[in-house]
Amino acid sequence: MNYPVWQLDFAGGGLLIALIAILHVYISHFAIGGGLFLVLTEMKGYREGSQPILDYTRKHTRFFLLLTLVLGAMTGVGIWFTISLLAPAATSILIHNFVFAWAIEWVFFLGEIVAILIYYQTFGRMERRNHLIIGWLYFIFAWLSLFAINGIIGFMLTPGKWLRTGNFWDGFFNPSFWPALFFRTFLCLMLAGLYGFLTSTAIKEEAFRLRMVRYCATWLLAPFLLFLASAWWYVQTLPEPQRAWIATFSPELAPFLTVFLWGSPLLFLGGLLMVIRLPQAATRSLAVVLLLLGITYMGAFEYIREGSRRPFTLFGHIYANSILAKDLETVQAQGLLASAKWVNKEITEKNRLLVGRQLFNIMCSPCHSVGGPMRDIKKLSAKYDSVSALEAGISGQGKLNLSMPPFPGSDQERRALAAFIMEELHGSKEQAAEVSLLKLPPLAPLPFNPDQDGYVLLAWNNLGMHSISDADGFFSLMPPANNLFAQLIRRGPTPEVVTEGVVLSYRVEPSFEKPARRVEFWKYLPSLFGLTRPDNTGLSGQSLSGVMQRKKEGKAFVAEKVPVVPYPAQGGYQPYPSFTIEARDMTTNTLLATTRMVAPVATEMGCKICHGGGWRKETAGISATTAQGILTVHDRRSKTNLLAMAKAGKPVLCQGCHPDPMLNAPGKPGLLNLSAAIHGFHANYLSGRGAEACGLCHPSNPQGATRFLRGVHHEVGLDCTNCHGALENHALALLLAEKKAGKAGAIRLMQHLKPSGGATLAEIKPRPPWLQQPDCLTCHANFGPPEADSAFGVWTAGGEDLYRNRQDESGSIHCAACHGSPHAEYPATNPYEKERDNFTPRQYQGNPYPLGANRNCKVCHTVDMDTDLHHPNSLGMMRNTRE
Amino acid sequence: MDPAYLIPTPDTIPAPWGFFEFLLILTFFAHLLFMNAMLGTALIALVREMRTRPDAPPPCRDIAGKLPYIIAFAVNFGVAPLLFLQVLYGHFIYTSSILMGGYWLSIIGLLILAYYSAYLYKMAGGLSATARRLTIGTSLLLLLTIAFFFVNNMTLMLTPQAWDAYFQRAGTTLLNLDDPILIPRYLHFVTASVAVGGLFLAILAYFQEKKSEPGAEKRLHAGLHWFTSATVVQIGIGIIFFFSLPKNVYQLFVGDSLLHTSLFAAALLAVYFTLHYGTRQRVWPTTSALAATVLFMVLMRDLVRQAYLAPYFHPADLRVMPQWSPLFLFLAILVIGVAVVIYMLRRAARVSEEVER
Repeated sequence: MNYPVWQLDFAGGGLLIALIAILHVYISHFAIGGGLFLVLTEMKGYREGSQPILDYTRKHTRFFLLLTLVLGAMTGVGIWFTISLLAPAATSILIHNFVFAWAIEWVFFLGEIVAILIYYQTFGRMERRNHLIIGWLYFIFAWLSLFAINGIIGFMLTPGKWLRTGNFWDGFFNPSFWPALFFRTFLCLMLAGLYGFLTSTAIKEEAFRLRMVRYCATWLLAPFLLFLASAWWYVQTLPEPQRAWIATFSPELAPFLTVFLWGSPLLFLGGLLMVIRLPQAATRSLAVVLLLLGITYMGAFEYIREGSRRPFTLFGHIYANSILAKDLETVQAQGLLASAKWVNKEITEKNRLLVGRQLFNIMCSPCHSVGGPMRDIKKLSAKYDSVSALEAGISGQGKLNLSMPPFPGSDQERRALAAFIMEELHGSKEQAAEVSLLKLPPLAPLPFNPDQDGYVLLAWNNLGMHSISDADGFFSLMPPANNLFAQLIRRGPTPEVVTEGVVLSYRVEPSFEKPARRVEFWKYLPSLFGLTRPDNTGLSGQSLSGVMQRKKEGKAFVAEKVPVVPYPAQGGYQPYPSFTIEARDMTTNTLLATTRMVAPVATEMGCKICHGGGWRKETAGISATTAQGILTVHDRRSKTNLLAMAKAGKPVLCQGCHPDPMLNAPGKPGLLNLSAAIHGFHANYLSGRGAEACGLCHPSNPQGATRFLRGVHHEVGLDCTNCHGALENHALALLLAEKKAGKAGAIRLMQHLKPSGGATLAEIKPRPPWLQQPDCLTCHANFGPPEADSAFGVWTAGGEDLYRNRQDESGSIHCAACHGSPHAEYPATNPYEKERDNFTPRQYQGNPYPLGANRNCKVCHTVDMDTDLHHPNSLGMMRNTRE
Repeated sequence: MDPAYLIPTPDTIPAPWGFFEFLLILTFFAHLLFMNAMLGTALIALVREMRTRPDAPPPCRDIAGKLPYIIAFAVNFGVAPLLFLQVLYGHFIYTSSILMGGYWLSIIGLLILAYYSAYLYKMAGGLSATARRLTIGTSLLLLLTIAFFFVNNMTLMLTPQAWDAYFQRAGTTLLNLDDPILIPRYLHFVTASVAVGGLFLAILAYFQEKKSEPGAEKRLHAGLHWFTSATVVQIGIGIIFFFSLPKNVYQLFVGDSLLHTSLFAAALLAVYFTLHYGTRQRVWPTTSALAATVLFMVLMRDLVRQAYLAPYFHPADLRVMPQWSPLFLFLAILVIGVAVVIYMLRRAARVSEEVER
């Protein structure tokens, strides 16, 4: 923010710090433990009167000096250089707060240099006692250096009370100071043994070599238990967020934790192995192996410690992107470009990628490399399929993904950043191409003679779009299961809804008869639903053709859960398969009436936009890669093992755990219902995007392969949000209900959601999914012309009041029978073939309007009527007429 | 872009700025002496190695034995002023370091190589002349490169108006090559190093002479010859350096400011005395005059820095949030630490005497 950025790309993301720091700590800890090793080994030589031990100590001192004083000390300065280049703001805080700690450490460093040089130069020449004093002074200075640095390093992870007081001592003697000091001290001793192996295995005389190797093994093994105990103590003193971060094996830290957990017994075993009499070549090799194991082990520990600070550089004080926690809101309010120095001040069409690069440099490059080994941004963003998808990913950072800071910039800045990553780094352009749809011929017309025919057969689908997930080998969000409804009306001055003595049957168009050849639903049915069905037979036993059942309530016939899928035999994607419905006399089998209807079914779920992979079938469908991406995220976030289960052939139904009234699934107690969980989670990424957000996941994208909004509401310019609200409001309504039910997950998901459209949280009315939905009568008060264009927030009282279940005031006819399926209200415009959804009104009236529109009561009543029996205003004239 | 806009906002300091200024000048003074001795002796060693016939005995045992240790102290005494510089001028030095990121960080690698090469040179005493020339030559070349990068950074941090290059050369790091002061300043430091290196050898020879070591007197004269010759050359380079400074800066030292001008006069006087005693082979008076010269130069250097940054910043602008107890602890530990160091050095000195006896 405050400083320019050294743009490293491949070596970015802190690689330089990691390399130099790990090398330095591995040597500098040896510089401490090894110092004690020197003086104690010298004492041992005197005690035992052993010249070989003294000679060995002297040689080891030379090795020690060359390693610690040159490589150890210079890499220490190197860390300082590196952090000031890569994290200058945080370094500046460390320097300015702890200048006297650094200065004290410098005095100790001076003492170390003087002591070790004298110790080496005078070995064997100085009077023994004095030489030992110099040796002890070296060790004391070296350990005091650790004491000083330990306070500052611990401060970065656990600043404790300093955050409030700003007091030097609060920061220095921070909560992890003492356990870390013990931990590191024991580590120093062990490293003295590990490095000792290098020189002791070089001793030529075998008996003496074995003696000294065993002596070094004691250094490694003796402190081991104390070391592990201090490690445990260390973790215990960490504040909750950091401890949880480690304890939950966050995916990025997991490999390092594994290295650390495996490294301990391996190092111990290696130490034991050194005790055994082995050929010199074997012990020499083993010594090198153990030294390498040691640096890996220590590197893993330091990585975990560093990783636990995320998303901060100084926990709770300054984020990794150099924004002070206290400044975050200000930066969010005024934008990044206005807050940062060393960046262009405005975004234009010409410079947007350049500014995106600058924003990447200040915001992302502290942790992310470009094509390098450290959290490679190209790899991490590869799954996003467009600039706007990555924008969504960025929007969610710091909300649910707590390992990253929240993105503090404006929408425009976020877009520039995403554009830089997607367009410049990935070379991909925004996906703007409109999907070209199959051209369907009109459905073959069926005759109706208003003067002679005795019946009107009305048929509809009770969902405007049945969205199914066709990733059955991985999970099921919604099975193939359309509900076909029909009502048969005997025409006459007093028409009658026929419910007895007739058989209503349905039959899908031929190319959709074998869904089992297109999806794997039947293969995984036992795992998903705990039951089996013959191929092409749905969950309720209905197949793609058959007899409709009389509904218990009301006067409709229904074929429930017909497993139709949007993949015709000839290939491609066609989400509007048609069914032919016939009504026959039960006894004579005489055909009374025939009509056709559309059973809309879509697999165009946009998961792949952010979760990786492509469409399963060219323009729709959830591919295996996408499904795996989804399960990976779910497993990571919710500590599940769904991907492993899926790979073992045991995919699950989402509603197996998440309650869902749609499937009558009770779910697991305490878990959010599926709608609240999914909308709540994704709203954290997709807020503020209006109807566009809906179309990223649902098949309402106006350029997509389904375009399921095809009713008259769409035609007059309304979109999803007019009825359902923007995603954030929609999600909040669902979450509020779950919060009321005492579910903790709701609070977590709601934490960063802000209502849009000027609403306040208090104004949003909680609702359960599916059962309470927007009410038509909110806008169409008393069935009249609309008085408003927002139905959000006024919910139907219950399931019976939903448009799809509701009946007219006479209690005979379903609303949808005359007005069409939800989202395809007459007059509808189907993107595949304009009149496809209007088949019934066109058959009976010759126009696409609701049954009986424009006072066409004769269609059933055979005579004109002057009472609005079905609902008030039913004698009005059609407002949205077509040319 | 207005350079003032690019200057980062500094953090607060935990004691009045003068305190850090004092420590900065004190520790930089020590660093400069070690650094000059390091670079100067390395250069003199290489010249001697090149002048010596390959079959002759190694000419620089005195330098070879000491160089790695001088490097150790040059680095140690470099850490302290860099720390205090960051306290007062962190927002400048971090920025310029980042702008020359790759070069700046390479110093660490170069230093490690130079250091190990110096150890090799120390051990190469018994090896061939080629090995000796190669090792000391490598060390010298690397140390000269490091010095060049340092001079780049120390000048770049003073010239925010040059920082705009960041926007023209996004993604790459840069040196301050366009600054007319760069080369004169670099030569000034290198020449000073040769002088101090020569004087350092003269001091070593002085002690050897006391012990009646053969050839010590010759070495003493040679050392002082290096010193005086380099100082004479320095007068020329110094003049060029001085007048390469921005006019408003150097004029402070020739009349515009009494403090600056007095200091400059004192420094010139001290230089006169170094030459006066140096040509008369008087080691300690020369050393005292040199110490005074270096001290005046360090003070002047600091005033030059303040003059450069005057349009943007003065350390007195920094907000002070005092925390006294860590400061007192530091002073106490400094006193104890220095006492222990003196104790150890005395013990060590006694060993040499014991061995000699």
